[in-house]
Amino acid sequence: MKILVGIKRVVDYNVRIRVLSDGSGVDTDGVKMSVNPFDEIALEEALRIRDAGNAEEVIVVSAGGDECQQQLRTGLAMGADRAIQIQTSADLQPLSTARAFLKIIEREDPGLVLLGKQAIDDDNSQTAQMLAALWDRPQATFASKLELDGQSATVTREVDAGLETIEVDLPAVISVDLRLNEPRFVKLPDIMKAKRKPLDVIPLEELGVAAEGNLEVGHYAPPPQREKGIMVEDAAQLVEELKNRGLI
Amino acid sequence: MPDKETTSFMRSLCMGQIEQEVLFPFPALTADQKETLHEIASAVDDLLVPRAEDFRHWDVAGEMPADFIEELSQFGLFGLIIPEAYGGMGLSNMSYSRTLQQVGRHDASVAVTIGAHSSIGMRGLLLLGTEEQKQRYMPGLATGERIAAFCLTEAGAGSDAAAIKTTAEKQDDHWLLNGSKLWITNGGIANFFTVFARTKQEDGSGKMTAFIVTSDMQGVSIGPHEDKMGLRASSTTTVLLDNVKVPPENVLGEPGKGFKVAMQILNSGRTGLGGGSVGGMKHLIELATAQANERKTFGEPISSYGLIKEKVGRMVVDCYTSEAVVTMVGGLIDAGYKEYAVEAAISKVYATECLWRSADEALQIAGGNGYMREYPYERIVRDSRINRIFEGTNEILRLFIALTAMNDVACQLQELASTMKDVFNDPIKGFGVLSDYAREHATLRTGLGGSAKLQDLDEAIAPQAETFETETRYLAQAADRILRKHGKNIIGKQFATKRLAEIMIDLFVLASTLSRVQTSIECNGVEAASREIDILRVFTREARARMKQNFRRIDNNDDELLKALADDAFEVERFRWDTI
Repeated sequence: MKILVGIKRVVDYNVRIRVLSDGSGVDTDGVKMSVNPFDEIALEEALRIRDAGNAEEVIVVSAGGDECQQQLRTGLAMGADRAIQIQTSADLQPLSTARAFLKIIEREDPGLVLLGKQAIDDDNSQTAQMLAALWDRPQATFASKLELDGQSATVTREVDAGLETIEVDLPAVISVDLRLNEPRFVKLPDIMKAKRKPLDVIPLEELGVAAEGNLEVGHYAPPPQREKGIMVEDAAQLVEELKNRGLI
Repeated sequence: MPDKETTSFMRSLCMGQIEQEVLFPFPALTADQKETLHEIASAVDDLLVPRAEDFRHWDVAGEMPADFIEELSQFGLFGLIIPEAYGGMGLSNMSYSRTLQQVGRHDASVAVTIGAHSSIGMRGLLLLGTEEQKQRYMPGLATGERIAAFCLTEAGAGSDAAAIKTTAEKQDDHWLLNGSKLWITNGGIANFFTVFARTKQEDGSGKMTAFIVTSDMQGVSIGPHEDKMGLRASSTTTVLLDNVKVPPENVLGEPGKGFKVAMQILNSGRTGLGGGSVGGMKHLIELATAQANERKTFGEPISSYGLIKEKVGRMVVDCYTSEAVVTMVGGLIDAGYKEYAVEAAISKVYATECLWRSADEALQIAGGNGYMREYPYERIVRDSRINRIFEGTNEILRLFIALTAMNDVACQLQELASTMKDVFNDPIKGFGVLSDYAREHATLRTGLGGSAKLQDLDEAIAPQAETFETETRYLAQAADRILRKHGKNIIGKQFATKRLAEIMIDLFVLASTLSRVQTSIECNGVEAASREIDILRVFTREARARMKQNFRRIDNNDDELLKALADDAFEVERFRWDTI
């Protein structure tokens, strides 16, 4: 079985985000970029499944400009077997990304597709769901535990009410949550090994997918600065303070 | 193309020649190297960022736990410069230096642990080891199973390395080593030592030889962990050799050529220390700017005040120019130049002094907080102080820089003197020599020499290029003049030598920065490079003033007065005047 893992290049989670002065986006000039942390968790899970003998190959795929090859190389250094870049200069919206991924699925015929539950830049949380619908296969989102059993997978999901366990037939799309695993560190020799692993570049047009979108970005703005909090002595004072602020 | 075996930019410069091709264009990493470095940097950050608190504790404790060193090994930081064929990363000098930068941003003790292993500990093996020696040791050194240390210094032999007392006596089938080595970085964690000892030659003279000594050899022992001012978490110990039997196949390089081996290792290892220093400066700029933006006095953030801006502006200039020089030297080595010792020494002196100034100013910007151990500044100041002392003190390196250049000038004059004898024997050949001599000296005096010009630089940096050309002519004249004045006695004229070294340092930094800015203009256009041009302008004006001063003081100075004051103080060993 092959496992396909989606990877997105995002501003590193440690970086303090700066919005461009004209509100057209965030400053990425000289800013550290990384693999979306949820995607790293998806990749880690795929590698563990492979290393346990339940899959033969792990393929990482990313859509973007050539700079996203850096993140694909990181994926290869973590242990993926090969990488595919869907080459486009456009900032793809979830639907286009899902359509492009579907084309890769048609080429590669994976038994499992693992994606992060959302990317930490735009927090859309849509690609996995759309992809499953387009592919017409089962989906399990926000996985915090994953067990494969031949032709099906048992997935524990983190939902508002607590944990929910479902079973899906494979092939399926599974999006992963924070607590699924702790991704491994990349070691330096792995970076050199990764250079020799294949990385295919496929232009978006070649897949017959258009970079169109149904979302329009108005403008970006930093969140308002949080006011300094106060320490309260007890519950009574807490209620009092909330009342004073007209919050209850 | 210049001959890579013999050409040295600075040594030519002292004779009035600008070997522009050596420094232009500015050495660049390939796209592939850049991508690899991005990944390395990112992986290094992932490894070390979560350790920030630990580094603080280990500084106080004065030791790094063994399992963290194991973690560094597993991560692959000991294999940076070892060829891939032996299981290492095979990084170029530039890439290695940039990697140490990244480590140096997080913790200097870690950087020096890695640096002492790669820059000097095992570099002798890399440069001069036989294939058999490499097969035997490289794979272990790459994984960190073996950690290396460089053992030259002794109680009576620091800067004066040739004075070592450790002996190696040739016996039947082995060498017998005896002696004790002092302040050995990685001493407590290493099991592979590059040891220098004095060997008796057949002619009875005592020469130096380099040996590979491993900790499993009988008679090798390690002293206690030194209690240091900075780099406290890195291991520094004595290494004692008591009748250690070393097999002949462990001689590194040729017997009797040990001094040259030591110098080769130190020269080629200097990019590591330079890289670590640049990394430290970048980290300090981040700390200082965040601190200055946050801290308010009189209702305004202190970043709005001129005296703070002056400090931060200078930190930026120091960091950019240091990086230019360090990258340049790494690039020269990678390009295959063999005569880079003077340039490497300049990069070490310059980068370590810039880091020291940046650390001091960043602490000043933080004010009282800077003095508190809760903040990182005082640790960085303590950690960076050793850089001006180890791997060749900056004083010794200054003498080395200027004397090497002066030796060239002297050789040229001597050659001239000896060929002059032929003038009468062979008028035709003699005439050629004479006219060369006349032309060269006319060139130096009038400054009209075509070879002393920088070609094809952008006009946006023309005034800085001109400063470089002008001061270069003065340098060649000054070297010539100092030598004619002092002759062989130049060795004892340290004031004059130091001035010449200062000028050479300024000129090489200027040349490297010109190259960096020119290449940036070519790649991105004048507008995009405008800040870099500003950096060049600030540096050039200050360097020019310093150079002018140094030239003036060659003939017009208070050297003798200062020396007399010092001699008087040496005599009484106290300060003579008191107010009570």
